[in-house]
Amino acid sequence: MTRLIYNELVKIFGKWRSYIGFAAIAILIPLILWGISKSGPAFERDVTRSLQGGFMVVGSVVNGFLATHWILNFLWIHIPFLITLVAGDVIAGEGAAGTLRIYLTRPVSRGTVLTAKLSATFIYTALLILFFALMSLGLGSLWLGTGDLVVFHQGVLVLPKQVAWVRFLLAFGFATGMMLVVAALCFMFSAMVSNAIGPIIGAMAVIIIGLAISTIPIDWFAAIKPYIFTTYFDIWQQVFFDPIPWGKIGHGALVLGVYGMGFVLISYLIFLRKDILS
Amino acid sequence: MKPPVLDISNLSKSFRQRKAVDDLTFRVNEGEVYGFLGPNGAGKSTTIRLMLALIRPDAGDVNLFGKSVRRQRNRALRGVGALIEEADFYGNLSARTNLRMLARMEKLPGKRIEEVLEAVRLRDRGDDRVKSFSHGMKQRLGIAQALLSNPGLLVLDEPTTGLDPRGMKEVRLLIRDLAAQGMTIFLSSHLLHEVEQVCTHLAIINRGRLITQGNIADLIHQTNLFTTEIRATPLEKAERILKAEGFADGLQVADGVLKVRARSDQLPAITRSLVEQQVQVAAVIPRSSLEDYFLSLIE
Repeated sequence: MTRLIYNELVKIFGKWRSYIGFAAIAILIPLILWGISKSGPAFERDVTRSLQGGFMVVGSVVNGFLATHWILNFLWIHIPFLITLVAGDVIAGEGAAGTLRIYLTRPVSRGTVLTAKLSATFIYTALLILFFALMSLGLGSLWLGTGDLVVFHQGVLVLPKQVAWVRFLLAFGFATGMMLVVAALCFMFSAMVSNAIGPIIGAMAVIIIGLAISTIPIDWFAAIKPYIFTTYFDIWQQVFFDPIPWGKIGHGALVLGVYGMGFVLISYLIFLRKDILS
Repeated sequence: MKPPVLDISNLSKSFRQRKAVDDLTFRVNEGEVYGFLGPNGAGKSTTIRLMLALIRPDAGDVNLFGKSVRRQRNRALRGVGALIEEADFYGNLSARTNLRMLARMEKLPGKRIEEVLEAVRLRDRGDDRVKSFSHGMKQRLGIAQALLSNPGLLVLDEPTTGLDPRGMKEVRLLIRDLAAQGMTIFLSSHLLHEVEQVCTHLAIINRGRLITQGNIADLIHQTNLFTTEIRATPLEKAERILKAEGFADGLQVADGVLKVRARSDQLPAITRSLVEQQVQVAAVIPRSSLEDYFLSLIE
């Protein structure tokens, strides 16, 4: 199995599209950090506007932590899109290119091949989130410094520096889990079709529609909201609350996990029975 | 007693309402170079995909080396190397890396990669990206990947499709070399002369059904479709004599050669008759006409 996963990683990292996500993060985050550092007082004023009535702010609340907390909002749409670029190609791209048939005529079971592909997709996803964490939290801390983290949620919460580190660790951990579900969703679409664009469009459509249902305040949507996995895309935000709502986070993680396993199971059912005609 | 290398029994597969393979049964024994002939759309590629477990049959089974592809897929495919239509590889990776990935799947030693690259004369291009390869080179690399596990059965599906004459010749020579080494080869093609040049045995399918099968020489001898080329002077007189002797059907003159449909046992009498009637016979060349045979079966 290790050999097959290694093969899949060679294939993934042998394609230029696999570096789009890393390149986008490598360009976008330093640009944002540069913008924050340059706009300085104006940015500070915007951030603390809601505090000016009741608080006297001494020093600066703008630091690498605040920037990272803000950058984490890319997890809603942007990072999922970067993940689908690779996850959508893993099976469907090979089907379209015709390379799948060479691979599947070897004396290795389809289940093993699919497990290797899924593992490599998950490894890629985890590496992308790790890079996202290093660029936002790592570079942000070095560039803008560290300090207390000010979180605006039902008022103002100030998390001390030491606590903020732990919260970020948790946030990126849950973000990785969330993005694995996104990867599994796209992987499932990839098992269904034989072109690499379809799974990307399919997965992004599901995410965008899901997020719309989760966030638009309509009564009918409210009834189905608990059953939609995108509703729980905010669990990374909740680790910055005080106290941390573990019950709510646990429920969200469970729903995401069930959806993730469902996507993987459907992928197996489709792929094991799929006729390779290309 | 050894089981046949390939044993297909009552194999059927439909796509929606269309029967692509219809109750197909045949065997390939060790050492045979088996041609699988049929017009485009006859069901050749579908049969091969069924053989290699790429698609699932509606009925019937395929046994490779006595192992059922349905029930013992991995064990059945262990002795098989295949090239299905065009050889598609990861173009952004080198030939060697592509082969290395496949070798890694089956825990094959690295030296085997060099051996197969050598066999298809691509060793010096092994580190080049596959996307820089010509179509012919890709097909040769396709054969290399099929040979990687040193298979007992080599399955080639239209291996010369899209190749220029030189590429075709190279691939055919390679197949002949492999056959000479005793490898069992299953060659699917719609090119009659390709099968005629390379194969010892033949199955013909049309519309998914088996039309005939057997040893190529026997199949041709069973028919009355032997064509003989006669170079004689004067040609017109020879033509008149043969018509009078009852060979008018199919008789034609082209490029100074008289073509007559006659069985091999009729040739001495034809030659004697021409010579006795003062025709100078320069050559009598029997030509098997697989094309005529093939067309007579599928029309």
